[in-house]
Amino acid sequence: MRVIVADDSVLFREGLTRVLESGGFEVVGQASNADELDRLVASANASLVILDIRMPPTQTDEGLVAAKRIRRQHPEIGVLMLSQYVESHHALDLLGQSPDRVGYLLKDRFADLDEFLDAVRRVGNGGSAVDPLVVSQLLGRKRAHDLIEDLTSRERSVLALMAEGRSNDAIASALKISPKTLEAHIGTIYSKLGLEPAGGDHRRVLAVLNYLRSS
Amino acid sequence: MTTLQRRVIQAGALAMIALACFSEVKFTNLPGGGVVWELSPDWYGALVYIVPGSSFVLAGLIAWSLRPRNRVGLLMMGVGVGLLTGDALLQHSVGRVSRPAEVLLDFVSPLWAVVLIHLLLAFPGGRLVSRLDRVVVRSFYAVVPLAALLAVVAGYPGGLGRISQPVFDIEVPAAGSIYLACLVIGSALVIRRWFLGGHARRRSMSPVFWPMVPITVFFVLATAAVLGGSFTVLATVFPLLLVALPVGCLIGLLRSELDMSSVGDLVVKLSGGLAPEQLQPALAQALHDPSLEVAYWLPAQEWFADLEGRRIDLPTGDSERAVSVLGDPASPVAALVFDSSLVDEGQLIDTAAAAVHLALQNARLQVQLRAQLEEVRQSRARLVEAADSERQRVERDLHDGAQQQLVTLLLSLQDTKTEAMRRSDPETATLIDANIVALKEALGELRELARGIHPTILTQAGLVPAIRSLTERCPIPVEVTGELGDARLAPPLEAALYFVVSEAITNAVKYSKGRRMCVSLGRSSGLAVVEVSDDGVGGADLSVGSGLRGLTDRVAAVGGRLIIRSDHTGGTTIHAEVPCA
Repeated sequence: MRVIVADDSVLFREGLTRVLESGGFEVVGQASNADELDRLVASANASLVILDIRMPPTQTDEGLVAAKRIRRQHPEIGVLMLSQYVESHHALDLLGQSPDRVGYLLKDRFADLDEFLDAVRRVGNGGSAVDPLVVSQLLGRKRAHDLIEDLTSRERSVLALMAEGRSNDAIASALKISPKTLEAHIGTIYSKLGLEPAGGDHRRVLAVLNYLRSS
Repeated sequence: MTTLQRRVIQAGALAMIALACFSEVKFTNLPGGGVVWELSPDWYGALVYIVPGSSFVLAGLIAWSLRPRNRVGLLMMGVGVGLLTGDALLQHSVGRVSRPAEVLLDFVSPLWAVVLIHLLLAFPGGRLVSRLDRVVVRSFYAVVPLAALLAVVAGYPGGLGRISQPVFDIEVPAAGSIYLACLVIGSALVIRRWFLGGHARRRSMSPVFWPMVPITVFFVLATAAVLGGSFTVLATVFPLLLVALPVGCLIGLLRSELDMSSVGDLVVKLSGGLAPEQLQPALAQALHDPSLEVAYWLPAQEWFADLEGRRIDLPTGDSERAVSVLGDPASPVAALVFDSSLVDEGQLIDTAAAAVHLALQNARLQVQLRAQLEEVRQSRARLVEAADSERQRVERDLHDGAQQQLVTLLLSLQDTKTEAMRRSDPETATLIDANIVALKEALGELRELARGIHPTILTQAGLVPAIRSLTERCPIPVEVTGELGDARLAPPLEAALYFVVSEAITNAVKYSKGRRMCVSLGRSSGLAVVEVSDDGVGGADLSVGSGLRGLTDRVAAVGGRLIIRSDHTGGTTIHAEVPCA
């Protein structure tokens, strides 16, 4: 898979490139700012861009702006945004209307390389990856009339993995349960929370996140 | 000017009137002794010059004794003497005056019209205020005698300045045209002065300006009549109309004496107690100048300021505005800035200033206090802003420095671990794994620390997402209601309101024992409002701990206010509002 890496620190780009290459990805270009990134996106024929939310010149949200622009102009290219902080606001902002080929992860996720590479692969293959911290914050959030309280702990784990953008197979194998059991859990979750079943594997990310974020 | 000089001038002026009158009388020695006198045959014609001339001289004498230092009196006398010499002497006493004297008078007499223009431009102060006026009047004094010389050289003995043929000499058109041009330019300047002047200027000019209107009309008609070859009634009436001018001058000067009574009204108002903001209108009314401004001296800043503490630069030099500084010039109390036409009302201004001196001193203290307050307010705002940007800088340093380095280290450890695995060294790989876990924890702690210093979401996404992010982390359910509109608030306002919400939530979690909280947002009529309430035990107190106290200061620093309602029945409500665009 052809990947572009964008971050203003050259050491970080090199480190990330080595990690990606050892994971079987081909890094076809590095960019230190949004302009370089735009040129690379136009020329390098990549299928995935990994970029930092903060980039020069103002170091605020240039990366987020660039990510949304790439998603709009090149819907076929996956975008994985990295950050030192994660905010549900940015997650939903980046996901926009469709959760295809998009991810938003803490930079700390390199601590578990397999999970990180799995998330990269997921985004590159058309899926989505929402940082577990965003999900756990939303899940742990207290509500006045909290239907989440009615879920069993197993159901909550399933909901969290769904919100991260995992596929049914991935969830079933992570929780070591059969696909049939998983589907039963998902049905219960939907009916307990009053959610409409939201189609395919990762399409439900948006519905679940929006549900968790609303009061 | 010594008293003797004054007496000489006064006597000379009266002598001119007497001489003009006597020139109309013919004395005959009777053969048998004794003298009989009779009026000259065209004595009524002579009245036409003697009446306006004498009235200018007499009114000038009165004005001069009323206002010895004001040149208006002398200028009026100059106009009168010019009229008397120009016509009474020359026309009716030819032969009784020596030839050299006659030539001299040829040069002097036409000047009466120039002196009149000078008078109108300088009234009521007696000085020419505008530079243009000074230059033009000076050049008239040079040009008009030259025109007269031209007339004399051309052989016409009467020279210029015959008001009975009014003013210009048909037989010497060049000289006449120069003279006429001077009159037209002079009148234009008078009209310009009227229209450029403010209320005070027009009020003081009005006694001489309005009589000029019919005079000018009659001048034009009379000139046309004489040019047409007939001596008409118009040509007689025109000079008599000039009498209105000295009368107007006197009225104008006497009126300022009457103006003193308005200072009396001012004193009465003051005894009833005048608030500082009422002083300026009261003074403006007493001095009949609505444009009057009071400027208060601020010793600390060493400048003058208005009541709000805003700096006022006093007008200097050649200007339509004049200044009177009150109190010791080294450390004045205040200054009055007014229309320059009031300059000559020195006594009026001094009296009014003396009346309001104490009140001005009080007002000045108030202005001083306001200015200091404003300065303190600004410096407080600057301090908070500096602290905010310092926090932002520290957060950025952490983000670009320590956090980024640790993340890079994490990547490099992963690299090393892969290498160890490749060399089939699982023990080293396990050791590295332990380091990775420790590093991840360090990163997590560093992230929370940096977030507390300055949340990036505040700068990245604004106040509402930042508040939502706070509530998502809050262990008590928080409901967020209302909106702050689409446009973002200024960064200092966002920071102030963010820290209010953050501190209020932290306090509620720690002390309120409440079960739920509500953050309500609102923005209307230039005010952004944030209110955080809980249903806990209440008892929050500004005097306890520095958290709430600091918030009050922070909100006040951006011009807003913080209200805390906390009782033991209804929980705590912290209400912050800041002025916004």
